[in-house]
Amino acid sequence: MSDSNNEPRTDGSGPGIVAPDDEVPTWRERKERTTGLSRLTYEYFERARREDQDLRQESSYVERDVLGFPTWPHETIRNIALASFFTGMLLFLAAMLPPHLGDPANPAETPSVILPDWYLYWSFGLLHLDPLNPELAIAGGEKIMSDELYGVLANVVAVGAIAIVPFLNKGSARRPVEEPFWAAVGVGGVVFAFTMSILPIQDMFPWEVAITFDLAFLLPIVSAAITYAVLKTMREGYMYDLNKRYYRLRPPQ
Amino acid sequence: MADEFMKGFAIFTAGLLVWMTFAGWYNTESFYGTQLVGPNPEDPGTYTAMALVVKDAALYFALLGALTFWVLIPAGRRTRSYYASR
Repeated sequence: MSDSNNEPRTDGSGPGIVAPDDEVPTWRERKERTTGLSRLTYEYFERARREDQDLRQESSYVERDVLGFPTWPHETIRNIALASFFTGMLLFLAAMLPPHLGDPANPAETPSVILPDWYLYWSFGLLHLDPLNPELAIAGGEKIMSDELYGVLANVVAVGAIAIVPFLNKGSARRPVEEPFWAAVGVGGVVFAFTMSILPIQDMFPWEVAITFDLAFLLPIVSAAITYAVLKTMREGYMYDLNKRYYRLRPPQ
Repeated sequence: MADEFMKGFAIFTAGLLVWMTFAGWYNTESFYGTQLVGPNPEDPGTYTAMALVVKDAALYFALLGALTFWVLIPAGRRTRSYYASR
């Protein structure tokens, strides 16, 4: 399917803003447009638009190109509907699938697997970086800081890196393909979060622990490189399409 | 196109919600055991048998409905417009 029929041509032909006679909707299209929910939706927004237009014409304020709906009743009804939906969903799930209430914790026994809540797995994994804690020869082969402090400092470094990113790139790109490098950084960061998350449970995999530990640092780099390569390859075609649409140029034959 | 996505998404989520409810009732051994995909209860009563049928129907409704609105209908439209433009 080609979109060339829908795009205005440089010679002035093609569909304009005013519909020619052959583009007047058929009776079937009119019927579809005037039935049921679509009709109701249309009337609702048309009425809101009309009220908005009247208010603008009455007001003495400077005309601005801002489209908005009044808080009462439009936004309020919408918010009540949304809040009712989510409240009902909570009640439904709580009644139909009541949550599991486990046995009380046994203070005399240590569980075999100790994990924080899932959204802290990455941070917990950063506490397991003690193989990276260097044993300095200058300090007589001893570690300059404890493994615990090393893990905490790793958290500080990771959070600091995330906090710096908005100052390095303000994020004006609409799509990842427009900024392949920063998209690659983002993908690498997400993959790094996942690989750090599996670091605390590295004993549970059937291969050697060292392999998991190495993969935890190699996979983010590999995925970032793949992302960069793919997006960089896509970029030329994407920018070409963007420019073509913007300038309404024809592609060179 | 976005409308078709929303229809498929609504069918998908609503169907899976019904399926998850019945699967949580009848196909979950325990919290630490198999959840949602455990074996059906042996010797079900009339109402349980009906619920199991509804559960399977909801699952197929969700999957086939999403497939219809996300794949089949858009593909059919593309095919039709492709042959219309030739």
